[in-house]
Amino acid sequence: MSERRSTALKFPSVEWFRALQELVNEDEEFRRLGSIDAVMGIKVGERVFVINFEAFECTEVTEGTEYDLIDADFYLEMTVEQWQDLVTNTRENNGADLSHTLNTLDLMIEGGISDNATGDQLRADVFFRVNQSLQHFFDSSARLETVFE
Amino acid sequence: MATVESRTAYWEQAKEQGFDLSWLEKLREHVAGEGVEEQSANDTGRVQGSIPRGDVARFGAYTFRTKSEVWAHNLTKLYEEFITRQWSSATDIPWETIQPLPDDIEAAQCQLATFFTQVEFIASDVPGRFISTMSPDYQEVRLALLAQVMDESRHLDVFRKRALANGGGLMRMIDSVSDVVGGSTDNAREFTEFSSRLHITGEGNVLTLFRLGEMMAYNEAEKAIYRRCAQDEARHVAIGVLHLRYMNEFAPERRDEIHCYLDEGESRQATGAGGENPAGQSQLTSGALAMLLGGGKDKVDEGQKILMAIRQRQTKEYFQRLKSAGFDDRIHNGRVNPALLEQYKAAA
Ligand SMILES: [Fe+2]
Ligand SMILES: [Fe+2]
Repeated sequence: MSERRSTALKFPSVEWFRALQELVNEDEEFRRLGSIDAVMGIKVGERVFVINFEAFECTEVTEGTEYDLIDADFYLEMTVEQWQDLVTNTRENNGADLSHTLNTLDLMIEGGISDNATGDQLRADVFFRVNQSLQHFFDSSARLETVFE
Repeated sequence: MATVESRTAYWEQAKEQGFDLSWLEKLREHVAGEGVEEQSANDTGRVQGSIPRGDVARFGAYTFRTKSEVWAHNLTKLYEEFITRQWSSATDIPWETIQPLPDDIEAAQCQLATFFTQVEFIASDVPGRFISTMSPDYQEVRLALLAQVMDESRHLDVFRKRALANGGGLMRMIDSVSDVVGGSTDNAREFTEFSSRLHITGEGNVLTLFRLGEMMAYNEAEKAIYRRCAQDEARHVAIGVLHLRYMNEFAPERRDEIHCYLDEGESRQATGAGGENPAGQSQLTSGALAMLLGGGKDKVDEGQKILMAIRQRQTKEYFQRLKSAGFDDRIHNGRVNPALLEQYKAAA
């Protein structure tokens, strides 16, 4: 993950996630990991973001409400501090270190970080099926200048 | 380049010269249907949708010729995911990152790699048997299973390579011979029996272990192996959940029978009998897992604690898959294995 962007973006915000969207959509390595059809919810404290992936692209980033999580295949939920820790760690290590990958966080944080809002594991399993693409998406944030609220 | 007009003129000329082109007209009469037959009369290896011809030897004699025995919705979409997410043990694993490890760690990695090699052998061997005995009319199911076999062959290959890569070598085969994943997978004669044992119980458990892999890895190569395998395994689980969901909806008369397969899988998942779940208790492989997770032979207790949490996670995910497939009544009516129910409550 080289060439960092200089304008600071606030986390969490639609702009921050859209910057990631732009980065992966022009990233050959992201494409090489394979197709990804998923609606991913992100819950940072009280705020909710919905991120759509279709085929080899991240197609849409919006801010939503808790109700939108019902339509997501899976959503990732952590406290504001845990998210900040993830973003900071990713930036410092040029990609999450071993204890900050989405998979490890999901195994080690009590209750996990990923689930389907309706308890449908078939859709929750999409998190496992495309995990390395999601990791690449978040690892791309190493290239962003991030500020926290 | 030939145009439509020049071709038509060519055919007209051919007819004038006495060639019989009636077979071309027959092709136009037959348009392959969109639907999939409930009962397949295809015994001849005729590819789905193509025009039958008479007098062909029935060399197929397929055992599975009823849609509701094998079908699942949305397998074509899953197949697309299979083919775009393939990888190679030769080019996607940074083997050069493997350095000499302490003897106890290397032995534990190799014991686990041996276990996985054995598991992957069954997971590729058994679906293969079902593919060849299923009517070609159920092409979507065949393709999904063929893609699974491709994944499993890569797993078979990559774990064997890991066992041989760093001086440890292949270790002891696990205690059970044919019952590697999900209980008696190798003995399954019926498709749903096979799928519930392999895809739901067996691979559901193996998926959790692969996810755990990055925490047991001692170098980037091992991390990459487990991460890639976990993604693959989740697709195999999806085949099973989609199939059970279809059975629940379209073959409800078989629900009781399916519950029996789940009874068996659960009992083995809970006790570790048969050795198919290395996170189960008192297994050769669970010892290896605990050592790797703890970080050496003097830290096995710490590893055991993580393993306990992992067993709860396996159970929670399994219960939620039952719900996705429509078989969660067993959780509420007292049929589910009591030890698993305890774990599920602890995880909730
Ligand atoms: Fe496998
Ligand atoms: Fe598998």
